[in-house]
Amino acid sequence: MSRTFWTRTALFLGALVFLFPFYYMLVGSFQKTPDTTVRGIFPTGGWTLDNYTDINSRVNLLQSLLNSVIVTSGVLLGTVVFGVLAGYALARLHFRGRGTLFAVMLLVQIIPFQLLIIPIYVMIVRSYGLADSYAGMILPFAINSTAVFVFRQFFIGLPDDLFSAAMLDGASELRIMWSIAIPLVRPAILTACLITFIGPWNEFLWPFLVTKNQDLQPLAVTLANYISNIAGRATNPFGAILAGAVVLAAPAVALFVVFQKHFTATEISSGVKG
Amino acid sequence: MKSKFLTTSAAVLALGLTAACGGGGDAENARSAKGPIKVWLSNNPEEITWGKAMVKEWNAAHPDEKVTAQEIPAGKTSEEVIGASITAGNAPCLVFNTSPAAVPQFQKQGGLVPLDDFSKGTEYVESRSGDSAEQYKSPDGKYYQIPWKQNPVMIFYNKDLFKKAGLDTSKPPLTTYADFLATSKKIVDSGAAPSAIAPAPSSEFFQSWFDFYPLYAAESGGKQTIEDGKATFDSPAGKDVWNFWHEMYAKGYSPKEKYDGDSFADKKAAMAVVGPWAIAVYKGKVDWGVAPVPTKDGAAPGEVYSFTDAKNIGLYSACKNQQTAWDLLKFATSEEQDGKLLETTGQMPIRTDLATTYASYFQKHPEYKTFADQASRTVEVPNVPNSVEIWQNIRDEYSSSVIFDKTPVDDAISKAAASANDLASGS
Amino acid sequence: MSTPVTQRILGRHPLGLLFAAPYAVFLAMVFAWPLALAVWMSFHDYFFAAPGVPVDRPFVGLDNYVTVLGDPDVRRSFVNVGIFLLINVPLTVVLSLVLAAGLNAAVRARTFLRVSYYVPYVTASVALVAVWLFLFSSGGLVNEILGPLAPSPSWLVNAKAAMPVIALFVTWKQLGLFILLYLAALQAIPRDLYDAAAVDRATGLRAFWHVTVPGVRPATTLVVILATITGANLFTEPYLLTNGGGPDGASTSPVFVMYQKGIEQGNPDTAAAIGVVLVVAVLLISLVNRKLLERD
Repeated sequence: MSRTFWTRTALFLGALVFLFPFYYMLVGSFQKTPDTTVRGIFPTGGWTLDNYTDINSRVNLLQSLLNSVIVTSGVLLGTVVFGVLAGYALARLHFRGRGTLFAVMLLVQIIPFQLLIIPIYVMIVRSYGLADSYAGMILPFAINSTAVFVFRQFFIGLPDDLFSAAMLDGASELRIMWSIAIPLVRPAILTACLITFIGPWNEFLWPFLVTKNQDLQPLAVTLANYISNIAGRATNPFGAILAGAVVLAAPAVALFVVFQKHFTATEISSGVKG
Repeated sequence: MKSKFLTTSAAVLALGLTAACGGGGDAENARSAKGPIKVWLSNNPEEITWGKAMVKEWNAAHPDEKVTAQEIPAGKTSEEVIGASITAGNAPCLVFNTSPAAVPQFQKQGGLVPLDDFSKGTEYVESRSGDSAEQYKSPDGKYYQIPWKQNPVMIFYNKDLFKKAGLDTSKPPLTTYADFLATSKKIVDSGAAPSAIAPAPSSEFFQSWFDFYPLYAAESGGKQTIEDGKATFDSPAGKDVWNFWHEMYAKGYSPKEKYDGDSFADKKAAMAVVGPWAIAVYKGKVDWGVAPVPTKDGAAPGEVYSFTDAKNIGLYSACKNQQTAWDLLKFATSEEQDGKLLETTGQMPIRTDLATTYASYFQKHPEYKTFADQASRTVEVPNVPNSVEIWQNIRDEYSSSVIFDKTPVDDAISKAAASANDLASGS
Repeated sequence: MSTPVTQRILGRHPLGLLFAAPYAVFLAMVFAWPLALAVWMSFHDYFFAAPGVPVDRPFVGLDNYVTVLGDPDVRRSFVNVGIFLLINVPLTVVLSLVLAAGLNAAVRARTFLRVSYYVPYVTASVALVAVWLFLFSSGGLVNEILGPLAPSPSWLVNAKAAMPVIALFVTWKQLGLFILLYLAALQAIPRDLYDAAAVDRATGLRAFWHVTVPGVRPATTLVVILATITGANLFTEPYLLTNGGGPDGASTSPVFVMYQKGIEQGNPDTAAAIGVVLVVAVLLISLVNRKLLERD
């Protein structure tokens, strides 16, 4: 009993330590003046909504939220549709260039975006004329390579017997994929979505470069902008910055809490096995 | 491997083609074309108010040449945004937030249009700004920007905190370095404030414009850091300025950590390095007084130089209707619009005879008069190649020697000056 | 469907080409071309010009690389990342495995625990940096609690402490993902191994050491490689937490220097050289890691 007791206590304490910055962020955002003393962890007064109203008066939160949703949905759509296809092909189909594609897919995850950002910017804005557009914001992230990896691992993990029966029946590759693989891939899609969504939702450098039209800017951009440039002029700069941080973090955390039970390990377990 | 080679060749080819395409013909057409244009304003709230009103007035009078205004962040990233848009070919016609330090780079990229190319362009710039315009010429003698507005740098002091420290609030001892240090000591020792003055100690390339440069301008009697392609600050004047700040940091009168917020408003520092924009910001928050930056041996207030902290207007080559852009530029810098800028934002248009042209304004707002007076003795960042890199090197050496006391000041200054000489020669 | 000829040219399942095509095209556009351009830039005297501006771009061989490798700022940034990795990777591996083992065994309040450990991972760095700045500033809560033990100068302006604070921040933020990976691996270890160990009277810590740790070896390799890649590409944290490189360059990172030189100062050629060096270094380290860890 004592060992599980200690393990459980340690886990809980760890969880509290992990959550502490979030708690502090929330508390600080409702304060009129910043209080950094130890007593300030549990403030009893000085509550205010001013910090939030300040943000709302300076940036259009609803429009930004909508933009974030549109951009992230675009990326999710591209990733799911083309990623599943690519993942399946990489896993179960033998075609010329499969090895190269797999190697490149891995390489993509090593290269830092900052190395490529200006050439990509020139290509998207100059050659394709996609500045100040949703397509411009979505395109560099349209198919998430980590998700492709996840799909590939998942399809590899499916038992061969599922497929051999159909192959014996003489079904075409297309048929096999459509009627056997796709219906099974749902759990992997959910995991891939959760992994993919974080990127475009929290990304601020790219949309910031590509859009000047404030009506198009997603939440991460408007709030990062607020935090670094505008909050300093508010009555309580610290509080305003924290309020901005809360607004930025809240949707992601909320979404995660709702879907968290799908963010489990089984779908990618085959990846770590081999 | 083979596909990599092919892609590389394709890239080279593509670049070669784009470099070859486009030519003089297009530029000539754009120069005289009129039509709708896009402009960028900084996201400073007062400037937006002025900008939007100015654009509205223009649009009412020119329905065929409509102007659309967008905001870009005024912070450290605005130069990157402009640079990226030049590369992509989608820069707006005018940017009302062009930093003089970035102009050499934008010019090198081919992103700016020399205003001299417009009929009577040179005269317009020089008649509006007088002698000050000289500092904004590029090495080839042309104007790739029009000096627009400046925020001459001075020192604000908190009268209440000074009183608490037992200091004279009407003639505070801030003229010589010795006085300034003694005042700072009194402030910190008496507990009136944790710091005497808190310039940002972070390492962005432009931070030196608010600690080193204003004092250097004062101490050297109006010199820029680079003149005639050579660094000037490896000199007694430069060393005195660095040693002064070194002592401020060493004795703890200035904090080595950046305060996340406004240290002057939050009473964490009794003084601040400011421009006229501060009058609106601290109204009602701090009972302030203003003094010129100190010099080593002191000087009469009417003789002290400082830094301009100017933001200018650039006309960008991606513009398709440059004649409209030029006309708008003249409209936006007319006496009337400059007056509205002054009234709305408190920032000083870079005009000759500023104080006399807007005498009634300064009568109604005497607190701005000190800044208007300082505006006639300000120094701009030198217009040389690799300007940003030079300032970054200066900042890195300053940070290492003055703020963090890791290297001796003399060595650091020599290193910074040597690299500045290298870079300014245009390599 | 496929004739022997097509099979020889296109592989056994040419349909795979069709399925993979959109992704391949996407990669070529968004990744291969810019990367090729970046590599090309690193061998030339290059800067970005407005379209249609005729500009000289001479080939300069290894000049950019020589400049970059001799630049003390660049060298410092690589050292900083080295320090970061030395702290972050072992800490990440140990913490995530231990926490995953704990979570695996926990039955009560599993949801709450899981959410707590994952939440930093899904939150934007920009938001979290704001709180950490507040916590670790010289007047912040951490120093209040430490009282006289607080380091002076304070954390983020202390040349020795800046990088470790960043390492702590990133470890905390990323842990969720690695816990997830380890959880998966743990669930794949067959129960019989633990039973067999129990027979040999190896339970608790000994079981952990002799069954669990070897059992998750592939996951450990993956965790180490991923953590190394993330660490090597550190940018947002130095940029935001220490306002551009910290006290005297104590917390710059190679990607940050790339950004400074490439985008702020308009020298994408040297920036590209730094990038290429970084990628090569990461590839080498990952290969070494893999060899070491799978030294079966």
